[in-house]
Amino acid sequence: MTLLAKLKDVAARSPWLYRINAGSCNGCDVELATTALIPRYDVERLGCVYCGSPRHADIVLITGPLTKHVLAAAQRVYAEIPDPKVTVAVGVCPISGGIFRESYAICAPIDQYFPVDVNVPGCPPRPPAIIAGVAKAIAIWRSRL
Amino acid sequence: MTSQLPILVAALVFPGGVFALALGLALKGADRRFAARLQGRVGPPLAQPFFDIVKLGFKRTMAPDVACAPVFFGAPLVGAASMLLAMTLVPIAGVYAPNPIGGDLLVLLYLLAVPGIALMLAGSSSGSPYGAIGFSREMAMMIAYEGPIVLIVAAVALRVGLATGQGPTFSLSQIVAYQQAHGALLFDPVMWPAIVAFAFFYPANLGIVPFDIPEAETEVLEGPLLEYSGRPLALFKVMSALKAVVVLGLGVALFIPLPFAGVVGLVGWLVQLLALALIGVTAVRVGAGRMRIDQAFVFFLKWPLAFALIGVVAAAYFSAGVAP
Amino acid sequence: MNFLTLFTRNLRRGPYTEPFPFGPPAPAPKRLRGRIEFDAKICEGCLLCEKLCPSGAIRFSRTREGLAFDCWHSTCVFCGTCEFYCPAGSIRQTTDWNLAHVEAETFAVAEHGLIPAIVCAECGGKGLDTAPNVSKVKPPLSDEEYAQLRARCPKCRNKFLKNRGKTP
Repeated sequence: MTLLAKLKDVAARSPWLYRINAGSCNGCDVELATTALIPRYDVERLGCVYCGSPRHADIVLITGPLTKHVLAAAQRVYAEIPDPKVTVAVGVCPISGGIFRESYAICAPIDQYFPVDVNVPGCPPRPPAIIAGVAKAIAIWRSRL
Repeated sequence: MTSQLPILVAALVFPGGVFALALGLALKGADRRFAARLQGRVGPPLAQPFFDIVKLGFKRTMAPDVACAPVFFGAPLVGAASMLLAMTLVPIAGVYAPNPIGGDLLVLLYLLAVPGIALMLAGSSSGSPYGAIGFSREMAMMIAYEGPIVLIVAAVALRVGLATGQGPTFSLSQIVAYQQAHGALLFDPVMWPAIVAFAFFYPANLGIVPFDIPEAETEVLEGPLLEYSGRPLALFKVMSALKAVVVLGLGVALFIPLPFAGVVGLVGWLVQLLALALIGVTAVRVGAGRMRIDQAFVFFLKWPLAFALIGVVAAAYFSAGVAP
Repeated sequence: MNFLTLFTRNLRRGPYTEPFPFGPPAPAPKRLRGRIEFDAKICEGCLLCEKLCPSGAIRFSRTREGLAFDCWHSTCVFCGTCEFYCPAGSIRQTTDWNLAHVEAETFAVAEHGLIPAIVCAECGGKGLDTAPNVSKVKPPLSDEEYAQLRARCPKCRNKFLKNRGKTP
């Protein structure tokens, strides 16, 4: 393996997560907080840390069915995240609208607006399911470095 | 047997540069792993901060349109460079002594202020309101803790200087040599107020909970570093790793240098740093909650300042007339 | 000083973290509401689950092969209403939570089933192989009678049950 490939392998061990709440009911956001804080499901083992700023992020976790209200803001924040990045839709709301599917106020599925790479269904998904989704996202991210 | 190295080697290889960077990142890794174990989690691998720096090298560097580009990109360079230089001034008891400049403790104090100023410049030049809040909070914290550290340094200088019969000495090599001959200042009751003041100073300087207010993630979205990505952010991480080594090394040199030389002295110094990092930084960081800026500011103007003042007065009063 | 006791306890006991994804996960709780599972052989075809599903995840569609069942897991909210109201117990919630997938497989993460179409044994008309609800029939049906009942279209099923026990 070349030195560059080895360095990329090293770099892939430090994916930083950023959460965008696109109109979520906060159920999935509580589970996201749980994956990092509760000793039982520790996402820091994978090298992940929740960053406070979108500029520091590598993997974007989007929750919520993208209400019309938040569409412009979510797109702006998404554009602030530097490449290479991977997008994970957490919960059923971003994938299909979930239980809010027929609402006039939402713009789900969000893959009309964002290039989603991994889906994690669940309402809300269990923390180990989120960790499985993040692990898949890390593999995709490694291929994009 | 202390040795003196040419300044470029000292700044780039040992004890600054490569050695200090590796040591600082290793200490950070140990800190994160130990913090996780204290919380009952597994935690990241010990080399995680190295992975973070490598990863940041692969990210795109972005800057806001409204940012002042020269200051925005110059601040991390200035901060990292100052810490590289500061590392050449920190003595390792029995192994390395800095090139004798008359008042190198004062130069070190000035250099220790530069990372804070670099953070302030970063926050204000980014053009973001969160950066501005981070800038003002960092400024308040610096005003709060610079007073105590100056008085602590004065107390140590008075103690060592008057005890050896000269005026107050600001040469770190002489301070270390005095302690190697007469016992560490940790066991000197006259210095205990100053040591207590230092115990409050270093969490604020290193930016750890309960005083990590300027870079509070949940409050100001990482404050001054909000708009940084890619290599400038990596430089800021490098700067904070080096600063940890400098501040902890300064604490060791001022109060607890070991009387050994050579390899034993170096290993002992490393063990001291690790112990200080795990007990003094990690346990405090995990066990405490963040203070508000007004609480922290008022607190520093009360207690650490009072302890440092008592330390200066005690050092001056009790040292005059002590036999060398 | 509570945090000191917590520190010593955590350092002595070691981490609580479960090994997933580097090892098998801890077993899921028994009543965890996970993925839906459908058994077409015991479905009655009442379509209650489709009416009651709050997010519209369950769809039945009439095809040439019979009555097709589709449930897209990515819009199911795992509420359990379908399992609660199903009279036959043919739709059940498992404890399977491991559903993360890449975007390309979005529409493949679904549960499908088919209730095949049959030709009525009596009148030769169109019928479905749904499980008839015979819990309240007295006296209870024998296995042979049940098989005969199942092979008929709905109208002939009614006739069969009415004429049961009446000698021709």
